[in-house]
Amino acid sequence: MEAAAAIAVGAVWLAEKTGLKKFVRAERLKKYPGVVKLLDNINNQSKWSG
Amino acid sequence: MNVQCELCPKGCIIGPGQSGECRVRVNVDGVLRTVVYGFPCSVNIDPVEKKPFAHFLPATKTLSLATVGCNLHCKNCQNWEISQANPEESEAAFCPPEKLVELTQSYQCPSLSYTYTDPVVYYEYTYDTAKLARGAGIRNLLITAAYINPQPWKELLQYVDAARIDLKGMNDEFYREVCSGTLKPVLDAIIQTRASGVHLEIINLIIPTLNDRPEQIRQLVRWVKTNLGSDIPVHFSRFFPQYKMRNLPSTSLETLDAAYEIALGEGLNYVYIGNLISEKGQNTYCPGCKGLLIERSGYTVLQNRIKDGRCPNCSKEIYGVWK
Repeated sequence: MEAAAAIAVGAVWLAEKTGLKKFVRAERLKKYPGVVKLLDNINNQSKWSG
Repeated sequence: MNVQCELCPKGCIIGPGQSGECRVRVNVDGVLRTVVYGFPCSVNIDPVEKKPFAHFLPATKTLSLATVGCNLHCKNCQNWEISQANPEESEAAFCPPEKLVELTQSYQCPSLSYTYTDPVVYYEYTYDTAKLARGAGIRNLLITAAYINPQPWKELLQYVDAARIDLKGMNDEFYREVCSGTLKPVLDAIIQTRASGVHLEIINLIIPTLNDRPEQIRQLVRWVKTNLGSDIPVHFSRFFPQYKMRNLPSTSLETLDAAYEIALGEGLNYVYIGNLISEKGQNTYCPGCKGLLIERSGYTVLQNRIKDGRCPNCSKEIYGVWK
């Protein structure tokens, strides 16, 4: 039992050392700090590049 | 308490009530929050050729969105009014991921494009929307400078169908001086994208006196060929004086034509010229038999002869997503 636990701890340690840890997301802020408006006519091609 | 954002190579350490360099990731009571989630400043239906993609579902429409903010501050930015805007001073519509998917379906667009500014800074909104859209059979297209750390990029790429990535030059000093970024993370993200199997196209904006010398173009093209392969489409785009770079002229047709010839001469199979109508660099030709495959005029596809992803003349497989 102890050996299995040690292996599990070792595996986690190895994964943290050798692998990329999961990205921690930013949390959503529900209130927009600017002005909230209705959607414009989306059928028009955008004036922005891209 | 300060928080550190781990999204991009800048790794901003953000004090209470402050935002990161991108202006849209803020420290609220010791918690990193995204203020633009669900609040696009622009939602429009564009031709996929406008992104530009030349090898991804040609002649289709794509529902395109952006929030304000960007983690780079390119002096030449064409969309600086939104990329460099503060959310507090901007207008946006409430449009959560479910609504975007619904709109995409109702307008019968086969894809959603995360574009105009940079989807990196509205990462969580992009991720959740892309995941939902994938489940609904909608393709996800990223239009990005790819200034992002490997782990968040890896997690996002699993829901991405195509990426059009800016490679602004091959010089770290250029990235630092003009864009307030660095080169290596971009190269790493591009290689990571290619390795992921996501459809990839590269764009290079050619700016007079800054990155327009033939040897600079050649270096970029050789990097693409060596690291990504000859099949990755490269778009050379015309610069217009904008934002903090109004002192330079527009890129000449001769410079763009020269870049086109250099890229073909170095062995790239698909090279395009954008932001102007030129004789060269509009159409797609078969790298095998040199026959015309897709004829374009601006964002309009005049004819597409590709059959089942292959040249109708010599049956060569053509890199891309065609259905």
